[in-house]
Amino acid sequence: MPRSNNKSTRRSGQADWSTDEWLRHLTALPGVAGHEHALVPEIEAAFRLFADKVERDRMGNVLGWIHGSGPSPRPRALLAAHLDRIGFLVSRIERGGFIRVVPVGGFDPRTLPGKEVVVHSKQPMVAIFGTKPPHLQKKGESEKVIPIEDLYLDTGYPEAVVKRRVPIGTLVMLRQPPVGLLKSRLAAPGMDNRSGIAVLVRTLQALRDRRPAWDVIAVGTVEEEDGQICLGARTSAEALRPEIGIAIDVSHGDMPGTREGDTVPLGGGPSICMGANIHPGVFDGLRSSARALGFPYSVEVTPASSGTDAMDIQIASVGVATGVLGIPCRYMHTGVEVVAPSDVDHCAALLSHYLVGLEPQWRATEVLK
Amino acid sequence: MSRARTALRRGGAAPLFEERFLEAFSNADGPSGWEAPVRAKVVEAVRDAVDSLEVDAMGSLVARIAPAGGRARRGPHVMLCAHMDEVGFMVTAVEKDGRLRIRKVGGIDPRILMGQVFRVGTKGIRGVAGVLPAHLLSNNDMSKVVPIEELFLDIGASSRNEALQAVSLGDLVAFDTTYESWGSVRKGKAFDDRVGCAVLASLVQKRPPVPVTAVWAVQEEIGLRGAAAAARRVSPDLAIVLEGTASGEAPGASEGESQPRMGGGPTITIQDRSLMADARLTELLQKTAKARKIPTQWKRPGVGGTDAGRIALSGAGVPAAVVSVACRYIHAPAAYLDIRDPRRVVELVWHTLEALGKEWA
Repeated sequence: MPRSNNKSTRRSGQADWSTDEWLRHLTALPGVAGHEHALVPEIEAAFRLFADKVERDRMGNVLGWIHGSGPSPRPRALLAAHLDRIGFLVSRIERGGFIRVVPVGGFDPRTLPGKEVVVHSKQPMVAIFGTKPPHLQKKGESEKVIPIEDLYLDTGYPEAVVKRRVPIGTLVMLRQPPVGLLKSRLAAPGMDNRSGIAVLVRTLQALRDRRPAWDVIAVGTVEEEDGQICLGARTSAEALRPEIGIAIDVSHGDMPGTREGDTVPLGGGPSICMGANIHPGVFDGLRSSARALGFPYSVEVTPASSGTDAMDIQIASVGVATGVLGIPCRYMHTGVEVVAPSDVDHCAALLSHYLVGLEPQWRATEVLK
Repeated sequence: MSRARTALRRGGAAPLFEERFLEAFSNADGPSGWEAPVRAKVVEAVRDAVDSLEVDAMGSLVARIAPAGGRARRGPHVMLCAHMDEVGFMVTAVEKDGRLRIRKVGGIDPRILMGQVFRVGTKGIRGVAGVLPAHLLSNNDMSKVVPIEELFLDIGASSRNEALQAVSLGDLVAFDTTYESWGSVRKGKAFDDRVGCAVLASLVQKRPPVPVTAVWAVQEEIGLRGAAAAARRVSPDLAIVLEGTASGEAPGASEGESQPRMGGGPTITIQDRSLMADARLTELLQKTAKARKIPTQWKRPGVGGTDAGRIALSGAGVPAAVVSVACRYIHAPAAYLDIRDPRRVVELVWHTLEALGKEWA
């Protein structure tokens, strides 16, 4: 594999990094769903910069604790952002050394031909999703979307080399160094949900100096993108029995061609979700914090499912009062997920303001009699 | 026959293929009509080596270099030609919300554009070809290729004004790809035909066996245009076009469809949609390759076309041949070639020039 374009992959996070630097660092890290262990050391290192205690649980979730200042036993607030990202697994090697893959998570097959990837063999390799040049195409061929099962990867190496070095099941990730756009916006694959992880890091940083009454546990959760449940969110909420659980994930940023209400404006601050998956008290609290801070924010309506870790946190343990914060992100699940770092900053500021304001005696369970 | 063989064997050493030229040329952007950034790199590479250097009215770069050992004209006057332009795009409009509309320059499959990153203009602005995420699309939309007319580039601007401070209408747009290497594989954009440009720039680093006019032509991808004008001006006795051509290798492709193969040696054209290659010239290329133990392969007949088609028809007619490097994924964001191939093309063309000096009537 040629030299990496992204030097930050070789350096762990630093306490004085800007959000832009954090996003560039985090989006370059591996961690396809089910294989988060590859990035766990980096997440631990990031949490350790600011947290009182850092743990890894048996499912692979990474926990960063901030001990509250209130009287013991203190209620807990769980903050969840999923560690995993979408990717592929090698399913077979074809004659000629061409590699077939199966997706882990929901890719739009239209965005893959011609894209570069990293094949995470022991010695990682670069490959390209092969394309047929127009010269060799039949008429009308270019109007048909190629399904993922018909796409193939090409490392350029001969078949024997590929067969020796790339076992079935090897992870594959889109390879796209972060692209700086105007207005400090940043495009990279993996903004879903490394921008959520960046919010956790920034929130831990803020809480270290302004301690809340509650214990706060920032959790990088495993396996949100694959499978029927958000595995890491469910298990960590079961284990921690939090009073409040807040999921931080990407929301669809404004894009032409979408209907009103489907998206929130990029650069318009975090979105505060409301709906069945969200406890009205948490929603109100988050919105009050946003108003108090005077930051831009939007309200996002997610009537039934929020499509985030909060779905599983809510029904964990004896039930958890949940909230969901969204970071506007354009072109989700493509190689060019666009995020405004200012939205990450505003989200972390809002979240820490809310946590610091939590009353020591607030409980989700209302005792009526 | 035996005398010719001896002559073939006796020739001087060919110049080396300079990979740094390939890297510099591939990383430069030059969609048809806007080849200036590439031309600047070529000028840098060949200025000191050639006898004269001109930019013609269309923008093609023309260099003359006399044979070694004196002013006397020996052998036929050969035009060697590679094209500088690549397929790309141009900014045609800026929407109210700051998105750029683009139109293609040359033959590009719309299926390789969605989700790609592009360089816009020459000031380092990047744009991404965003598509609505799968979550917000119906299955029906997911099975639809976004045509280039409906595609847009997001450069991060929120308004037309913001966008126009960074880009202008007519800015060139190129794939944002960086040259890289591993094993014998080289990855980069526009190997069609920057590899030909680099082969040609390498060839002129040494005085050739016959008088050579080297042409780095413009506008090949939009109708073989630059070479047409250049050939009339150069008026050569014969021509060899240096190309990056499409390999057909893919899973499931038959043996025939897979030809030519990356790493299979210089690819020689018999016939394509623009040209019947001159049989004598092609035979000489084959003979030289055999004598030099250079593996060669045939380009699949009937597909593609090159500047050779135009050059052959210029003036009173010019015998023309095409020698190519087989590349995978041309006209896409990133192509592959095997570095051994351009090295062998330099060797083959050089020794063919030697043979021409001795054999061509």
